[in-house]
Amino acid sequence: MTYRADVLIIGAGASGGVAARHLAEHGFDVVCLEQGDWPDRSAFPGARPDWELAIRKDWAMSPNVRNRPEDYPVVHDDSDIEPLMYNAVGGSMIIYAGTWPRMLPSDFRVRTMDGVADDWPIAHSDLVPYYNAIDQQIGVSGLAGDPAYPPHDDYPLPPLPLGAAGRRVAEGHNRLGWHWWPEPNAILSAPYDGRRPCVQRGVCTSGCAEGAKASTDLTHWPKATAAGARLITGARVSRITIDPRGLATGAVWLDRSGVEHHQEADVVILAANAIGTARLLLLSADDRHCPDGLANSSGLVGRRLMMHPFSVVTGWWDDQVEGWQGHFGASITSYQFYETDPDREFVRGAKWALSPVGGPLNHILPMRAGNEVWGRDHHELMGRTFGRGASWAIFGEDLPEEPNRVDLDPVRTDSHGIPAPRVSYRISDHSRRLMAFQEARAEESLRASGCRETAVASMIPYSGWHLMGTARMGNDSASSVVNSRQQAHDVPNLYIADASVFVTSSGVNPTCTITALALRTADLLVQHRSEQKVPA
Amino acid sequence: MTTPTSPAPTADIDIHRLTALADVMLPAAHGMPAVSEVKAVESYLPQVLGWRKDLHQPLVRAVDALDPSLFSIDRLSALHEEDEDAYVALTTAVAACYYLSPVVRELIGYPGQAAKTYDPFAYTEWVAEGLLDPVVDRGPIWREVPG
Repeated sequence: MTYRADVLIIGAGASGGVAARHLAEHGFDVVCLEQGDWPDRSAFPGARPDWELAIRKDWAMSPNVRNRPEDYPVVHDDSDIEPLMYNAVGGSMIIYAGTWPRMLPSDFRVRTMDGVADDWPIAHSDLVPYYNAIDQQIGVSGLAGDPAYPPHDDYPLPPLPLGAAGRRVAEGHNRLGWHWWPEPNAILSAPYDGRRPCVQRGVCTSGCAEGAKASTDLTHWPKATAAGARLITGARVSRITIDPRGLATGAVWLDRSGVEHHQEADVVILAANAIGTARLLLLSADDRHCPDGLANSSGLVGRRLMMHPFSVVTGWWDDQVEGWQGHFGASITSYQFYETDPDREFVRGAKWALSPVGGPLNHILPMRAGNEVWGRDHHELMGRTFGRGASWAIFGEDLPEEPNRVDLDPVRTDSHGIPAPRVSYRISDHSRRLMAFQEARAEESLRASGCRETAVASMIPYSGWHLMGTARMGNDSASSVVNSRQQAHDVPNLYIADASVFVTSSGVNPTCTITALALRTADLLVQHRSEQKVPA
Repeated sequence: MTTPTSPAPTADIDIHRLTALADVMLPAAHGMPAVSEVKAVESYLPQVLGWRKDLHQPLVRAVDALDPSLFSIDRLSALHEEDEDAYVALTTAVAACYYLSPVVRELIGYPGQAAKTYDPFAYTEWVAEGLLDPVVDRGPIWREVPG
């Protein structure tokens, strides 16, 4: 007899973990299929001498560079930004920086406020209860009262250390009269919920061996499975199945040996990131019901991909600040140039986050700002800069454009022979103006903070951590894929919990909002369970 | 996923030739030793190639392609144009070997990515000191939205 779950979740990352825990704790029978495995923290490279070598290969953020069995290739020959992700329980939270900013009220109303893109069908106030709840679940370190935000609940933990660099830049901004605030981070500053605090090793983006940085393998999955959720790893989904009424019935998946299985469910939740989710919807095309892809009557599945153009501006002081150390994560943030100013040649803005700059290899083989110098001058450069710098990491708001998209590559496949996603993406002229302005201001910031020299790495290609927008939310089924509950217009028992549903990108790191939206979606599913249409 | 930690055999790489190339890339200067002075290649190359097996063959190509007696930094740039993988393998391997040397780490003041302890409530001191006061005093900077 075939086993049918109440809910099938595809993907065990940020949104999948949050949804699974909430649903399981509210009595739902949950099954999750995850193509990766449980992360093995003893294999994380941050405390090892080969750390800076590992992050260029086995621990690269690009699945194409890592090329592990659980990764699928992402074709990006026609993209200005390389998509980055991690496939495991915990998802890309394993390699994210851990900064935890909320979106702002204006982020949900960019059409109304600034005349561009579209408004969201929900408001910032709709998410506030979920932001507050997620902060407690995750264990966020921060300081309430930031005047860049509406007042909200205090964070559960005190802010992480400013560090020498953070302190200097804070003082510099005070001299300029510019905003700064200690960055909220999903990184523990003190013991919390059985987890240990951050030790300031500065290796967050290659996995936190301490378990101080939140990821759902730590914060949600143990509680979800304790509540009865079943998590199947090494399970690669090839398509979502539908019945003659157009309702989702489950998903076909392949185990590590390539053996095909079918998991039935009353409700399917996609939580596979904005590339993986779009890929699966397109792979689930059916000649009779949805020839252009599942839930795609609007034609928008895969379109409006947003990735946040990303620049780094590094400054160097005359003396040591132990610039390789800290949390990564960010010590301080600035929203001075976040909101629209009509005197500028662009609308919207960017968020800045001050971060460490890595060890010696990152100085001489820079992945961000800096120069590769050999010969006698190498030692002069190292003496002048090593340990003396900090970087503003700048995320600019990326406005949605339909030509920026994910579709299926006609040739390349993953290791199971399933067509790979293909990304076509161009940084717009608007984004280029926005980022040029921000880069120049960031150099001013660092000089005002006492830096002797600065360097700009403008719109770095290797920066596509923030994947958003490929199945947008909206009230009109002709111009959106899911409604405000993140329920597919075309398939009423199919939900999308990840950042595919973002209408616009904001200018902040998205994981905080992804998890708040996932919690809201799961919560509304609980509230409306008696009305939920399910297959016969 | 594990990273191999056992040293890799390097019999197919001419260590003397690679060290000579590395000494041009990282010579003795500004108070820092040359690669050969700290025996960086002979001491650490097997370990580096154990960690990064993907570098091995491109490094062999780089060493074969470059004549130490004619080698200069300009030739390094040409290698970048001719064979980028070989260039990346050479620069990565040489830099990794050099900066694994305890002598070099001591000279640049780098202890590795060390764990540190701190007082999570130390922030109360800089808050009390007034570091945030100018930011707070300027008032809200977020925009109210209609509806």
